Amino acid sequence: MNLKKYITLTRAGIIESLQFRLSTIIMVLGNMLYLIVAYYLWKAIYAAAGTDIVNGMTFSDTLIYLVLATALYNFMEMYAVWEIGRAIQSGKIVLDLLKPMEYRSYLFWSYSGSFVMNFIATFLPTFIAVCIVTKGAVPFGINLLFFAVSVIFSVIINYSIDFMVGTICLFTESIWGINIMKQMVVTLLSGATIPLAFFPEALRKAAYCLPFQSIYHAPLSILLQRNPQPADVLPVLGLQLFWCVVTVVLSKLFWKVSIRQITVNGG
Amino acid sequence: MSAMIEIKNVTKEFKVLNRREGLKGSLKDLFSRNYKIVRAVDQISMTVEQGEIVGYLGPNGAGKSTTIKMMTGVLEPTSGEILVGGNVPYRDRTKNAQEIGVVFGQRTQLWWALPLIESFKILKDIYRISDADYDEMLKLYQSLVDIEPLLHKPVRQMSLGQRTLSDILAAFLHNPKIVFLDEPTIGLDVSMKAKIRTLIHALNEKKHTTVILTTHDMGDVDALCRRIVIIDKGKMLYDNDVEHLKRFFGSYRTLKLRIAGDLSERAEAVAKLLPECTVSADDEWISVLVDEEKCKVMHVLTQLQQSFRIRDMQLEEISTEDVIKKIYEEGVK
Repeated sequence: MNLKKYITLTRAGIIESLQFRLSTIIMVLGNMLYLIVAYYLWKAIYAAAGTDIVNGMTFSDTLIYLVLATALYNFMEMYAVWEIGRAIQSGKIVLDLLKPMEYRSYLFWSYSGSFVMNFIATFLPTFIAVCIVTKGAVPFGINLLFFAVSVIFSVIINYSIDFMVGTICLFTESIWGINIMKQMVVTLLSGATIPLAFFPEALRKAAYCLPFQSIYHAPLSILLQRNPQPADVLPVLGLQLFWCVVTVVLSKLFWKVSIRQITVNGG
Repeated sequence: MSAMIEIKNVTKEFKVLNRREGLKGSLKDLFSRNYKIVRAVDQISMTVEQGEIVGYLGPNGAGKSTTIKMMTGVLEPTSGEILVGGNVPYRDRTKNAQEIGVVFGQRTQLWWALPLIESFKILKDIYRISDADYDEMLKLYQSLVDIEPLLHKPVRQMSLGQRTLSDILAAFLHNPKIVFLDEPTIGLDVSMKAKIRTLIHALNEKKHTTVILTTHDMGDVDALCRRIVIIDKGKMLYDNDVEHLKRFFGSYRTLKLRIAGDLSERAEAVAKLLPECTVSADDEWISVLVDEEKCKVMHVLTQLQQSFRIRDMQLEEISTEDVIKKIYEEGVK
């Protein structure tokens, strides 16, 4: 029954986010606003290009990709950097450290509730809407299963990167700049704002070598693939798994160093 | 009886950057390696037995919170040994956390947006409290305080007093061996303070929980602690019974007088008459601090009556507060 103490945090998170109905509604509205902006932006880009297919993607391909990326982003973004930074600045971290579990898991599971909520409140409706509106642009089949696995990897990689950046706040004692930088790097290089196919050759190659593309590009490419063959999907999943392991180990290491900073210098 | 907390020659040093003044100074500080070592806790040793309530006192910045943080495992001592319930706190922080409860007066560990009962349920799962123990504890709480109205109230809507009360209940929920209370009555009104003291006392008695209490309120100390430990500037000044403390400082009593005529003038005259006593005056009273070992209060009174017309008088025993104030100001001689 070791899992129970984690699940209870998920449960608490769900109840907690249900207390703030207004913020959920505003999030959905803000999300729509962003999509409208993206729609016109990309329409202009395609109009300027003068062809139907840019970098191997049609307008509707791009749009579907972006809509789903945004939905994924809304559900996966954890703001762990903020949370760690705030906890350190306010000194609340002392109380979190006194819980009988590791801080890394405590924070993750405390968040998992809003995960579930955001999945239901933003990702699922968007996904269904996309499926209905595009009438079958999103293939239904085994890819959904691969996609689910891929998203779990994405969540872990995303959290581990967030956590690593968060621990840096321990040394700098400021959050804002670091967090903005992290957000820019992640959203750009992961393909959350611009599909990787639009990147210049060199940058795209570089992006493929970094862990960020495993967060958004990988699950979305799996989802949008028609008749995925295991031979296509498994390398992607394998790479994700690789980054999972690397980032988890790294974030553990980062924590080990920074916890010493807290315990030796008082944070 | 067994030792719950053992601290041996514990020292904690912090490295602090020497900050310079002004814009220029701040810019230079960016590249400065000019650190100084601040010793927050200096060679402290003590042993606390199971079931004791120890008042841990000292002026602001004395090193109380640092010591508490070391005992809870959030800070690692620079040197010395700490054992809490058999664990080395900073090394086995997670294991140690299972056996201790902590309340910081200014913060809450409860889930801000949720009703108290939900926080309790979460803590129940996190600390893996069995259903039977949990029910028993809630029953005990119900017999001690009126928690029904609190249970279904979101923590953010609670008054400070209710929140502190809830935090204390949360800290005791998993029946820890030791509870650390860091200024639990800070900012509370008189009746809430009394309620919280009764609660702590009852929980200590029923569960034989060891309690370490830091406070600035001598009411807390008088109501709860038999033993007190006083530190200042990181050094231990005193570790013994409260009673002993008073004797240790001589048997002082304060004689308060109202004398006809201008008070400050009279006070000077009184001081001249009684060179062995400390005399002070405020708007209403002339206070004479008498050390009973040097001269008796009755003797002082007769002497005064011969020279002045006394309109009114009061006799006050010296309070713990006065003694502690004296220690903070002068240290132990």
